This record gives sequence, C-alpha cells and structure tokens, in this order.
Amino acid sequence: MTPAAAPLIEGRDLTRQFPMAAGAVTALNHASIRIEAAEYVAITGPSGCGKSTLLHLLGCVDQPSSGSLTFEGRDVARLNETERSRIRLTRIGFVFQRFFLLPMLTAWENVELPQAEAGVSRSERRSRTRELLEYVGLADRLDHRPSQLSGGEMQRVAIARALANRPALLLADEPTGELDEITGDQIADLFDRVHADGTAIVVVTHNATVAARAGRRLAMKSGRIVEG
Amino acid sequence: MTKFIILVALVVAACALTAAAGDETPSVLVSRQLAESARLHVGDTVTIAADAAGKGGKTFRVAGIYEPTPDPMKFTARRIEARMHLPDLLDVTGARPNADTPDAVDALNVRLADPDDARAFGAAVMSRAPSISARSTARAEDGSDPFAVLDRFHFAIAIVTVFGSTAFLLALMVMRAEERRETVGIIRLIGISQRSILLEVLVEGLLIATAGAIFGVLFALATQGAINRFFQWRYDTALVFVRVTARIALESVALAVPLGIAAGLVGSWTLLRRDVVALVRR
Amino acid sequence: MTAWGLAWRTVISNPARAVLAMIGVAVIGALLFNMLLLSRGMLVSFRDLLDSAGYDIRVTGQGSALHRVPIADATSLADAIRQLPGVQQVALIRTDDASAFVAGRDRSPVIIAFVGTTANAVGSAWDLVKGASLQEHPIPSDPPEIIVNVNLAQEFHLEPGSELRLRISAPGSASAMPPVTYRVAGIGNARFESVDEYAATTTLAGFDAAHGGEGHDAAEIVLIASRPGVSASENVAAIDRLRPGLRAMSNDQVLEQFNEHAFTYFRQISTVLSALTLAFAFLLVATLLTISVNQRLGEVAALRALGFSRRRIATNLLCESALLVGVGGLTALPLGGVLAIWLDRILRHMPGVPERIHFFVFEPRTVVLHAALMAATGILAALYPIWLAARLPIAATLRSEIVS
Repeated sequence: MTPAAAPLIEGRDLTRQFPMAAGAVTALNHASIRIEAAEYVAITGPSGCGKSTLLHLLGCVDQPSSGSLTFEGRDVARLNETERSRIRLTRIGFVFQRFFLLPMLTAWENVELPQAEAGVSRSERRSRTRELLEYVGLADRLDHRPSQLSGGEMQRVAIARALANRPALLLADEPTGELDEITGDQIADLFDRVHADGTAIVVVTHNATVAARAGRRLAMKSGRIVEG
Repeated sequence: MTKFIILVALVVAACALTAAAGDETPSVLVSRQLAESARLHVGDTVTIAADAAGKGGKTFRVAGIYEPTPDPMKFTARRIEARMHLPDLLDVTGARPNADTPDAVDALNVRLADPDDARAFGAAVMSRAPSISARSTARAEDGSDPFAVLDRFHFAIAIVTVFGSTAFLLALMVMRAEERRETVGIIRLIGISQRSILLEVLVEGLLIATAGAIFGVLFALATQGAINRFFQWRYDTALVFVRVTARIALESVALAVPLGIAAGLVGSWTLLRRDVVALVRR
Repeated sequence: MTAWGLAWRTVISNPARAVLAMIGVAVIGALLFNMLLLSRGMLVSFRDLLDSAGYDIRVTGQGSALHRVPIADATSLADAIRQLPGVQQVALIRTDDASAFVAGRDRSPVIIAFVGTTANAVGSAWDLVKGASLQEHPIPSDPPEIIVNVNLAQEFHLEPGSELRLRISAPGSASAMPPVTYRVAGIGNARFESVDEYAATTTLAGFDAAHGGEGHDAAEIVLIASRPGVSASENVAAIDRLRPGLRAMSNDQVLEQFNEHAFTYFRQISTVLSALTLAFAFLLVATLLTISVNQRLGEVAALRALGFSRRRIATNLLCESALLVGVGGLTALPLGGVLAIWLDRILRHMPGVPERIHFFVFEPRTVVLHAALMAATGILAALYPIWLAARLPIAATLRSEIVS
C-alpha cells in the first residue's frame, strides 16, 4: 500500500476576519480545503460568501486570521514575504476578473514580464512567450496593447501571463465575470486545455458552464464550505 | 574680542545727553549691540579712544542704549557704535579744526519743509558751493539703486518659479483629468454637453484655485515671519527682510487663480475632445 | 523587462504628463543651478579680478569705512617695501572725486572717480581699446596725460588727443580748486569700474596737478606684487613689521572680508532659495508619483499577486522618479546657463559693483553638487509613493478595484 501523495495545497480551519468600524466581519469561517496536484476545482456561491477571500488565501496573497495553510508541504505562515512572493511568481498563476494587464506593454511584453522577473534567460523567454500566445490563440496579436484587444483577448493574454513560469497551480477569480457567454465558453475551453496539460486549477465562478467543467465543485455560504 | 570699529559723531537731542547738574563726565549713547557685547548698562563709565591701544582715551558716562536704525546698505556690519557730541568726538580723535575752518564736518543732513524740493535744493547748493556734493536721500528713479536692482532680480526669479509651477500644475491637471476619464465618458453618454462639463470644471477650478491661492498667501505670511526672524537673528538687526504686503498678496492671488482655472480647463479639454466611446472603454 | 525599461514605458505611456513633469523639473532645476552658481559666483569672480590685476597685497591707512586716513610718506614706504626680499613690484594709488567737463561744450560736468598712480599699475588696471597707455616719463610742459573709461569718452565724445578738464571735489574744504586740463592718451575699460561709472587715471604727477601742484606724498592704496614662490602672507607680515600702523591685506584676506560682508547677502539668498527650490521640486515630484501610484493601485496589486516582490515594485518607482528628475535635471543645465546670463545682467547693474564682476560663475563642482542634490531629491520624493505601493494590502486592493 503506497502512502497518499501530499496535497498541492491544504488549508485547515481557515478563518479570515476583517476589522470594520461597525465590528469585525468574518469573511471565511473555519473553512478547510485540500487541492491535489492537477486537480480542477470550482468554487461557487452567492456574492459575499467568501469565495474570493478563500482564493486569496490559497494564492498566498492574504494571510488567515487563524488556521493553517500549507503549499507543497511548506507552512505558508512560516514564510516571509519574499518567499511568498517567490511562490506566487514560480508556483502559482493568477487570473483576475479585470485582467489587470499592464496597459503600456504589448501582449508579448505582458507575458514576458513574469519570466524576466523569475530570471529566465532571454532566449528561453522568447520561445516560451511565443508558445504561450500561440497556445491561447493570439499569435497574430503579439504587438498589440491591451487597449487594442477585446475583453476575451485580454483575458487570454492574462491566462498566458499566469502560465508564464509553468506554475503548479492556476487560480482564477471570476475569469469570465466581464465577458459575454460565448467568450466565456472560449475561456472555459482554454482552462480545460490547461488542466489537461497537468496544471491544477481552482476557479471561483458564477458561470455554470465553467463550474460544470471542473472535476470537483465546492459550494460556499456565509464563509463556510457547505458542499463538495 | 570686541573691536570698536566706528565712532560716529552726531548732534543728538540735548536732553538725551545732558548730564545731571554738576556732573562733568560727558555722556555717550551706545548701540544695543555694543551694550550687549561689552555688557554695558546705563550709568556705566566707559573709556573711548581712537587708538587701539587706548592712548588718548576719554571717559564717558553711558546715558542711554539705542537700537541703531536698520540700514539695508550695511546690514551685515555689526553695529558696534556710539554717539556723542561733536566736540567730544573731536577730542577723542584728536582732530582739531584749523583757524580757517573752525567747525568742519564730513556731512550735513538736511530735512526740507517740502521733501519734493530735494533735487532743486541740491542743485542750488552745488551751484553756490562747487566743492560740495548734495544728494537727495530718495531712491533714484532711474532704477539704478541697489533695491531696484534686487527688486528686478527677485521678480525674475518669481517669473521663473511661476513657469515651473505652471508646468507641474498642468501635469497634475492632466493626471486628474485622466483619473476621471470614465466618469466623464459616462456623463457624456447620458447626454450632458461638453459645455456643461466645462462649466463644472471652471467652477471647481475657481474654488480650488482660490482656496489654494489663499493658502499660499497664508503660507507666505508664515514663512515671512520665519525668514525675518532667521535673518534678524543672523545679522543681529531689526531690519525687515521680507514683507508680504496687501498688494503682493492680491497680485499673487490675481495670478494664481486664473492660472489654476486655466490649467484645469486645459487638462479637461484634452479629455473632452476625445471620442465618447474611447472615454468609457477600458 | 528591467526595472528601467518598465519605468520608461510607464513614464511615456502618458506623454503629456511626462513632458510637463520634466519641463517643471527642468525649470526648477535651472533655478537651483543658478542659486548654486550664485553661492560662490561673486567670490570666484572677485578673486579672478583681484588676481588679474597682478598684485597680491593691498596696503591702506588706518581708519573706518567712513573715513580712511591716507598713507603718509607714501614714496618712502614704497621704497622700503621694494627693498623687502619677497617683493617684486610696488605701485601707489591715489583716489579722489572730480568733476569733469570739456571746455566750450554745452554739457554739464559729471562726477568721476579720479585715480593717480604709478605707470606700472596703470597697465594692469586698464584694458585699452584706443590710444596708448600713460608715458613713464612725460614731458613736464605738456598737459598731463589721462586715460578715460569708455563711459566718459562716450559722454564727451573723447578720442585720444582730446582735452578734458577736471576739477577736484574736496569734501569739507571751503576752497575750490581750479580746473586742470588733461590730454586723453587712451580710452579703455578699468578693471574695477562699475557699470555706469565715469573713471579716469593719470600719473601721480598728473594727480598732484589737479590738487594745485601740491605733492602730498600720500597714497590711499599701495599695491604690492610678491615674487614668485613667496607667499603673500610672508610679505604681509613683513610690511606689518615695517609700518605697524597700516593695514596690509593679501588678496585672500580681502576676499575673506568681502565674503563676510559684501557677499554674505547673496550667499544667504542663494542658500534660502536653493532650499526652497529643492523643497518645491521634492513636493511636486512626490505629488506626481503619489498620484501616479494611486491611479495604478490595481496594477501594482496585480503585480504583487503575480509574484513581484516589494523590492521590485520599489525599484520600479525609484526608476520612474529617476527618469523624471534625471531628464529634467539634465535639461536644467543648459536652461540654467541661459537663465544665469539673464540674472547676471540684472545684478551687474548694482551700483558700485565693478562691471567685470559676475554673480553667476560656472564651476564644474557646481554641476556635481546640482546632480547630487537633484538625485537626493528624486530619491526622497519617491519614498512615500514607494511606501504606499510596498505596503498596499494585495487582496483588499484587488477586491476594491473590482468593486470600483
């Protein structure tokens, strides 16, 4: 009998409170989650249920008020900010609802940027960037700035950027939130490909199509994981 | 070590220097700076000599301590000075009038009944006594006096400063306008005219520029005090170096307000002339 | 992409803002450059003027600024000083005010600065533009020769060979000297003349002629040139021992006094205005960068979420500040040069200031100081925006950007 493989990321009893003038708000309430390598998980729930908060904790972008979180076996709470930044740069990719591409850079440059930050050589960056933009279907839009792209195209560039350093985990926060249905389906297709290529995906979404593509669905309500 | 650098002989009001009846020690008035540096008080007896070794010195009683009239032409000089009667000065310096000129002086100050007569008076004196130089104390009107030169210098610096701040102001207004790009686009989309938006910008600019200009004047008043105190301490003088007059304040506001409004309008105009769709597009 | 590359792209993404900000920095930087030039300009210029005359020691009589006693027995003093081993040359200077006019011309007399001196002093004190210098041994019967400055020549349309009449103005005297006729030998620019001044120089004999032929054997100033290799201070000490009642000062000492008294106002003004200019530049660059960061909080949060470290974000912002201040600062130098010419022209009209004195004098060290101050300002101005960007809570910022 072989021992169970360590999860890619595991959060136990995670709580996140936000102090407010009118009293602390508990966005996440003793939630526990475990994501295996190459797993595809969708998190759904009504607005304000703590989905994005959970995603931010998983992405080491925020820290829990209580509970523990390990990434690839490392206790995230024991890591300093530089180490957490390094994890976000090389092991995790982030896709945002509002794309957050740098407006003064071209599609090519936006995808190349995280690789340069990670210290990848110039030749390798060049080939990887071309590969990624072809992968997302934008080989003919390399030199276009975000203002010259549609919403769907911008999101595809954002996905390419998130995959730039071959992360083990891709986190997506409402990736189709600002897109129409057809474009959203195209993004969902892209996620399927990414998952098929071995990257774990956790997507927070209201989009039923995207949620349906996931291998596992988690429902949240009032800061808790109630289903899945 | 204190150096007595100037002995100035002036005829002063007799009552200030008249000693008490029966006291034959002549009186002297000393400047505040001299009193502080030599730790003198009214009633003290001092010896004043023209010779650095003290030879030929004469004893005086300190009758009073005065604040020297601030002189912009010599504000850097330490006002270590004393005033005494002319005969006492002649005694101290050993300068004796000759038989032909029993009471000789270096200069006379004349106060005219009508100050506007100064030039004519001076010309008349010089024509009667060719070896005499008579000059009005009023500032020369040809702009050659030192303060006119400094006035032009500071004005030139003010012009340069205005240019620099205008450039920055425009940069800030352009940034502010860009910040509101989407808002302006939405307003235009729902039908508000460019004219109305510009009017709003004008009013906003007027309010902000006026508030800013007034704040600037208040700030200038505060720094005026600080600069004057610093220089008065530095040079130990009562001279006032910076004065924000009502006219200067009004001129500053009159310049700042239109500049502020114009900068706001220019910044907004660069936005308004763009296509509405381009404004709302992310 | 390097931090510089990203900073450059960020700066030029809004060309209007970038150009305006750089112009603002350039103008303020030019003003700063000028104030730094002013802080030493007059001193450097005055030193050059003193040194160019060829004499490094000045001796005057005792007295105050109001009343300086002429040096008596000037000739014997000059002879004694010449005998000092460290002395190469000695010249006597006598000064007075005179009124000048041309006989038969319907023009009012003008007051001039009238100087009598030994011939070798003339050569070093004047730049002749017409005519010749004074003769060493003039023929006694001739009208005494005189060199006039260009202002005086223009006033009376004088040429070499013209005649000019001078009457001494003796203050405090009840008698009036008769006017004396002089022949203009040359026209030039006196080293120490001020902009609107009228000046003339003659020999000591010519000077005595204006005083009714009475040779008082006195001098207002004795100029001494030290031998090469001999320090001026050595000669000053020797002259002090020779005639203790006099004031002997080397050029360095004259400069020190000048620095402490005449020049101090401009030094103070330069300091105050430099400080204000730097504060202004700091405030404006900091405001621009802060607004720029506030407009890009979402971008910054996204970069942080993607793994960009705080140090990288800070470096980007520093590079942006450096670009704004650097380009503006470089442009400030030629602009400052032009501005300096304008301001110098204004200040040189100050009465009593020799025309050859400049208030703004270029020194390489000023450029270095300017660059250092601008660099420091750029770094300090970036500190607050860096703090903002580095400290921003990533998750909360992302959330608020989405909500807004």
